[in-house]
Amino acid sequence: MRTRAPHRAAVATAAALALALPLGACGAPQAVDAETAATARGPITIWYSNNPQEVAWGEQMVAAWNAAHPDEPVRAQEIPAGTSSEAVLSASITAGNAPCLVFNTSPAAVPEFERQGGLVDLDTLPPGEDGQTATDYVTARSGDLAEQYASEDGHFRQLPWKSNPVMVLYDKEAFAAAGLDPEDPPLGTYDELLETARTIVGSGAAPNGLYPSPSSQFFQPWFDFYPFYAAQTGGTQLVEDGRPTFDDADGEAVFDLWRTMYAEGLSSPEIYNGDAFADGAAAMSMAGPWAVAAYTDTVDWGVVPVPTAEGTPADETWSFSDAKNIALYSACENRATAWDLARFATSEEQDRLLLEMTGQMPLRSDLLGTYPDWFAENPAYVPFAEQAARTVEVPNVTSSTKVWQAFRNAWSAGVIFRSEPVGQALDEASSDVADLVSADAARGERS
Amino acid sequence: MSARTSQATPRPAAAPPRHAAGDGGERPASGLRRVLGRQPLGGLFAAPYLLFVLAVFAVPLVFAVYMAFHDYFFAAPGADVDRPFVGLDNFAAVLTDPAVQRSFLNVAIFLVINVPLTVVLALVLAVALDAPMRGLSFFRAAYYVPYITSSVAVVGVWLFLFGGDGLVNRVLGPLGLVPDPSWLVNSSWAMPMIAVFVTWKQLGFYILLYLAALQAVPKELHESASVDGAGRLRRFWSVTVPGVRPATFLVVLLSTVVGANLFTEPYLLTGGGGPDGASSTPVLLLYQRGIEQNEPGEAAAIGLVLVVLVLAVSLINRRVVGGDR
Amino acid sequence: MSTVPFPGERPATPVPTAAAREAAGRTRPPRGRVRPSAAVVRVVVLALGALLFLVPFLSMVSGSLQVAADPSPAGLLPGAGETTLDNYRAIDEAISLGSGLLNSGIFAGGVILATIVFGSLAGYALAQLEFRGRGAVFALALLVQVVPFQLLLVPLYILVARDYGLADTHLGVMLPFLINSTAVIIFRQYFLQLPQDVFEAARMDGASELRVLRSVALPMVRPALLTVVLVTFIGPWNEFLWPFLVTKEADQQPLAVSLANFITTLSGQVANPTGAVLAGACVLAAPAVALFLVFQRRFTSTDIGSSVKG
Repeated sequence: MRTRAPHRAAVATAAALALALPLGACGAPQAVDAETAATARGPITIWYSNNPQEVAWGEQMVAAWNAAHPDEPVRAQEIPAGTSSEAVLSASITAGNAPCLVFNTSPAAVPEFERQGGLVDLDTLPPGEDGQTATDYVTARSGDLAEQYASEDGHFRQLPWKSNPVMVLYDKEAFAAAGLDPEDPPLGTYDELLETARTIVGSGAAPNGLYPSPSSQFFQPWFDFYPFYAAQTGGTQLVEDGRPTFDDADGEAVFDLWRTMYAEGLSSPEIYNGDAFADGAAAMSMAGPWAVAAYTDTVDWGVVPVPTAEGTPADETWSFSDAKNIALYSACENRATAWDLARFATSEEQDRLLLEMTGQMPLRSDLLGTYPDWFAENPAYVPFAEQAARTVEVPNVTSSTKVWQAFRNAWSAGVIFRSEPVGQALDEASSDVADLVSADAARGERS
Repeated sequence: MSARTSQATPRPAAAPPRHAAGDGGERPASGLRRVLGRQPLGGLFAAPYLLFVLAVFAVPLVFAVYMAFHDYFFAAPGADVDRPFVGLDNFAAVLTDPAVQRSFLNVAIFLVINVPLTVVLALVLAVALDAPMRGLSFFRAAYYVPYITSSVAVVGVWLFLFGGDGLVNRVLGPLGLVPDPSWLVNSSWAMPMIAVFVTWKQLGFYILLYLAALQAVPKELHESASVDGAGRLRRFWSVTVPGVRPATFLVVLLSTVVGANLFTEPYLLTGGGGPDGASSTPVLLLYQRGIEQNEPGEAAAIGLVLVVLVLAVSLINRRVVGGDR
Repeated sequence: MSTVPFPGERPATPVPTAAAREAAGRTRPPRGRVRPSAAVVRVVVLALGALLFLVPFLSMVSGSLQVAADPSPAGLLPGAGETTLDNYRAIDEAISLGSGLLNSGIFAGGVILATIVFGSLAGYALAQLEFRGRGAVFALALLVQVVPFQLLLVPLYILVARDYGLADTHLGVMLPFLINSTAVIIFRQYFLQLPQDVFEAARMDGASELRVLRSVALPMVRPALLTVVLVTFIGPWNEFLWPFLVTKEADQQPLAVSLANFITTLSGQVANPTGAVLAGACVLAAPAVALFLVFQRRFTSTDIGSSVKG
């Protein structure tokens, strides 16, 4: 045992050396002075999403701005394509090198970014030439939908930008092959949905009815549970007034529906490598208006609103918004320019271009009334535009990621893999979420 | 070069060499020498490594302990945030968390399957490979290839082979040996699948360790056992197995460290620790909590608990298998 | 897995070089008399095992060349079904194989270089030079290998991303692996085994320590260099979690990370995702396998064994 003595020496050395170094703070990046930055103008950097359509829109938007504002040039680049844009943004907030604006900020991440001190309260910025404060501007543009995006203190730290309301797409060829009416498929109620899925799988038209990703990432509920819950409840958020809402008859109905889907093999618990809908591995899919461009060449598709237990008229059905917003990051030094650009990018003209170039829905009130000619030319988008008026957002709670992860874990147990009864899964999810939200509240009071 | 390194003709020193002063320690060492040692240059040579260990291990280790006792989270530079001391709260939170408990249980399941499988297969294959034969280098290469191939690459293949409609099920399906749900999404099979995968992936390395250890087993022991009339199997038990004990200790220790560090497999092979957490691991949770959910305090607490458990398992291993000779 | 603990200090007795020992091992007479039946059993066992070990690789190559991945046993044959290079094209378009390979190469190459330079310095100092704290440095090198790296992940991530400012840089990716502690110990081991008088002679010639190390000691431990290169290479080439954390920009990601991202999020973009994944896997596996096959004859069990066994 000759190693004993050196071991002790090593521990002592390591500890001594480590303690001699200042913890973490050395060489940390400097913070921006908020007061100066709020009125400062000059060059800024922005990031936008990396899909080709949004890049094209972003390029023309920046070019238009730069032509009109040579003193305040904007440098734009695609958001670094890491694992998820939330992880990239969180890392750049911590590192102090976030850009001024990110045109791809997930509302689910906003509370966490806010807690990190990474976002600017838009009301701290000088009012525009028309005297509108940020809150005025957001409310004027987005109407009632804006409310869901306000922070707990009522201020906005994100400019609601565009939504991708989730609806049910179906493959007309597969439906016809299964002997279903491809123009008016029975998908209004849960019973109809189940019966339709059984017909499809039973006839061999497709191996699955619906095939959402069964993986345990925190955001997956947005594409299975949440649209159904929004539809079933007429627009209730997962958490309201600091309390989880879903441990009730409506939540149970959604859980039961999906549990049946998995139990009867109408949905698969196995992760699909690829796009199940495009490949014909599923006859239906949960998708937003991005799907119009994505599937038009490959699938002859139709679209219906998300079913509810008893059936709801299409024009009263709610769904999940899957929105992406614009946020102003605290590392920004020329915030006045950044805010001007954000307003420019959400003007009626730029919103129209966004609609034309990406097919995604600007978060404006009365979308159909604002751009009637465009929708007349592009009828495929009309159902999504109608749906966009009735969308529900993720709850604006600090521990958003943890809340969704806890929920997803319960969903895995109660629905996908059925290792627990639905009631127990719901109870567990509800009490976990309640704990997380009340811990947030406690933390909020303390600071 | 060969002339320089030749020991046959050491030339007598023309000038007093630099190191003559300390030779043999005849002269009293100067004060500086006493502090820095006979050849302080050694300190300089080792300095880059020491600096590296400091930056990459010591500082983060102290930082980890600090985070584990605080309500720490990532924040923007200069942001006014509150990160109070919370005592053992993080530890209490993770230790009472069923997901964390499950992840440690999963590592235990992994070890129970992986360690015996690894030890037995590696030793048997090493013995089989430890004698001249035609095609030996081919066999050695075959066993070694998975070890040198990136996990991400081989996970990609396993996903294909063990998928619901993969090769394995095509072969086993007619025999009625396919579990429902299929392997990677079956909560009873997910963790054993990872254990088998890692055994397969790492086995080549352990075979090498055993091959090396076999060289150290004295031939005479085998011969005298043969003379005593012991058969092959008996000699394997009474000569080979005890003879490679130190290697077995090492294999068990390394498997334990691998088991404690599992991330790539549950992340990619079973879709993030699925199904239903049945293959989640402490490091996967450490990533989820620390990076995704911005709870580095809880992540650090999981990490510390993990290290304590690894050390405990190593101690037990030392007792049971015995690494010291 | 590149960390290899080192259970105890080894006496500084000269031992035959690895090559000599390997040669001895090769020519050693077989133990006892091998009955034909035993030999047959042995070959059958080895062949069956090798089959199990190689089938996934066969599947990887075949699947990467098929227009639609064929999961049936017949599909294992490389020529089965319609062959195409489209999968390679598809994966290259999605994640840019070239830049991924380059980043992996820079990652592994940088680590090997730093390990050889600084690791041999440290190993030499530990073996041949008496200085204050030598025991402590050696013990640290041992300790480092027992602490699971993942424990340090989160704090190290914060330090590297924020305090050292190295997120999305090659240095940031390399940092935790820069000097392989196993290599330090291997170097020390080999330097201990060299006869003392060689060094004394060189020193008497007036050679500086650095020169002694470079011109005398290093050439004498060539086998160690090869072992170090191979042991060190495997770590960074296979590492996933750390580069996954510190590289967010696609053009900085090693191939293992971009391929993993493709598996988890991007595979919906291509027509034959399984084929594309397998093609990417082939490209990722090829350099390591090629390197191994080239050096296989020199990289022998005794070689790694001597450095690991203690």
